[in-house]
Amino acid sequence: MVIAPESDTDPVISFQHVWKTYANGTDALHDVCLAVPDGDFVFLVGPSGAGKSSVVRLLIREERPTRGRLLVHGADVGTLRRRALPRFRRSIGLVFQDFRLLPGMTVHENVAFALRVLGQSRRTVERRARDALDTVGLAGMDRSYPCELSGGEQQRVAIARALVHRPRLIVADEPTGNLDPATAWEIVQLLLRINGEGATVVMATHNRDIVDLVRRRVVALDRGRVVRDDQAGRYHADLAPLAVRAR
Amino acid sequence: MRIWRHLLFALGSAWQNFWRNAGVSMAAVLSIGLIMLLAGASLLLGHALGQVLDAYRERVSVLSISIADDTPLPAVYDFRDQLRTRPDVVAVRFVTKEEELRRFASDPRNQQLLEQLQGNPVPARLEVRVARLGDVGRVDALARQWRGADRTDPTDYQGDFVTNMQRLQAWVTAGGLGMLAVLTVASVVIVMNTIRTAVHHRRQEIEVMKLVGATEWFVRGPFLFEGVMTGLIAAGLALGILLAAYRPFVGTFQSALFFVPLTYDPRFVAVLGRDLLAAGVALGAVGSYIGVRRFVRL
Repeated sequence: MVIAPESDTDPVISFQHVWKTYANGTDALHDVCLAVPDGDFVFLVGPSGAGKSSVVRLLIREERPTRGRLLVHGADVGTLRRRALPRFRRSIGLVFQDFRLLPGMTVHENVAFALRVLGQSRRTVERRARDALDTVGLAGMDRSYPCELSGGEQQRVAIARALVHRPRLIVADEPTGNLDPATAWEIVQLLLRINGEGATVVMATHNRDIVDLVRRRVVALDRGRVVRDDQAGRYHADLAPLAVRAR
Repeated sequence: MRIWRHLLFALGSAWQNFWRNAGVSMAAVLSIGLIMLLAGASLLLGHALGQVLDAYRERVSVLSISIADDTPLPAVYDFRDQLRTRPDVVAVRFVTKEEELRRFASDPRNQQLLEQLQGNPVPARLEVRVARLGDVGRVDALARQWRGADRTDPTDYQGDFVTNMQRLQAWVTAGGLGMLAVLTVASVVIVMNTIRTAVHHRRQEIEVMKLVGATEWFVRGPFLFEGVMTGLIAAGLALGILLAAYRPFVGTFQSALFFVPLTYDPRFVAVLGRDLLAAGVALGAVGSYIGVRRFVRL
């Protein structure tokens, strides 16, 4: 399995006419074509049911495309064998709206857990967990439990856990969905900083203000189709035509 | 080194999970323990019955042929040699009238009868040990055709007894196997359901493990160990109860039914202990293996 792009010009993510229909007959994606080059920062926007979550689920191979080809780091997600999944997933850092932290573990243990499951040595686990917590600005809180942290801090822990493998691709599904505007902005700043250090970031979001403020690439989805792909785009820009079409 | 760390992680998680869901774990241990107790008790009873049957088999697999007093000695030797050539005969021994009388006289219950007897009324005998219990009938038929055999009471063959004993043994074996199969299935289902509950309790952790790239068997490992642990503790519990009960049971039996040849067999206890613990591990492993294959997938 190829985990790194085959060349510098190869996109990290490449949707090639991807369709996704679920077993219950729901059509989630229609002929999606999308290429995300290395180091890009992409906002996936669109109303509920537009297909953002399906894109994320395909990217982490929770689902396979029904038709078409999806390459992530050069690996064909549709034909990826189950045995190759763990290594594939280690190449992606995942951040979710609900943080998905383990409540019985401390901040440090939550981050370290991602390395412990790989059988890393205790020294490596300690060092890299500490580095990841430093990166997200939670160096002094490693003994706290998730329930003792604010939403923003919990999301930082989740980001630290996503970073601890040192992935080249971060996929964030509504990472600011449960946060107040100020905290949401801090989390986006953190993701931008990580992107600035070279990682590719794909962030599905509903947060119009943040998209408009950051002015990065915006891919808008509507009813499973890519309806807009703007470099330095805005959230609003795609709403007007959608609203017109809806009428 | 990495395998060792994975093993330690799996063992630690299994132990933690076993006690975290102590209610479910203990219910499983008690259920499987009860099943193993039942299986162990059946094995012990089977062994006891086997001991009794062996003793009777030992007795009835020796056929005693009474020899008519007027049979010439060369004819007896000829028939003895003929019997010795048969593949279903293990040994043949000629017992003279004098030897048989001495044997008769050695039984205190015969003393009164012996005082009233004149001469030597007991016949000489050929004692034939057969290879298998089923062979006694054939040798008996042959002996009854022999002219040298006593006409009134040629052999001590008890056909019905042998047949009934063989039938009883077949039933005991078949019943034991059937019960063992049912108990095995029940244990596996219990372990599977325990694992299912454990998987449900730890679904968050499993989800995170999958997302951070843990391998399928890394996620499954702790559940496998938990199943083995459940089986092993259940087997230990059942074994403890059986060990505590076996000796008093044999003692009570011996004093109440002294004529039944049942004894305490320490060698069988060791074998039973080994087999029960191995069965506990195997049942736990199989149940949890099926459980994780069904409920834990990447």
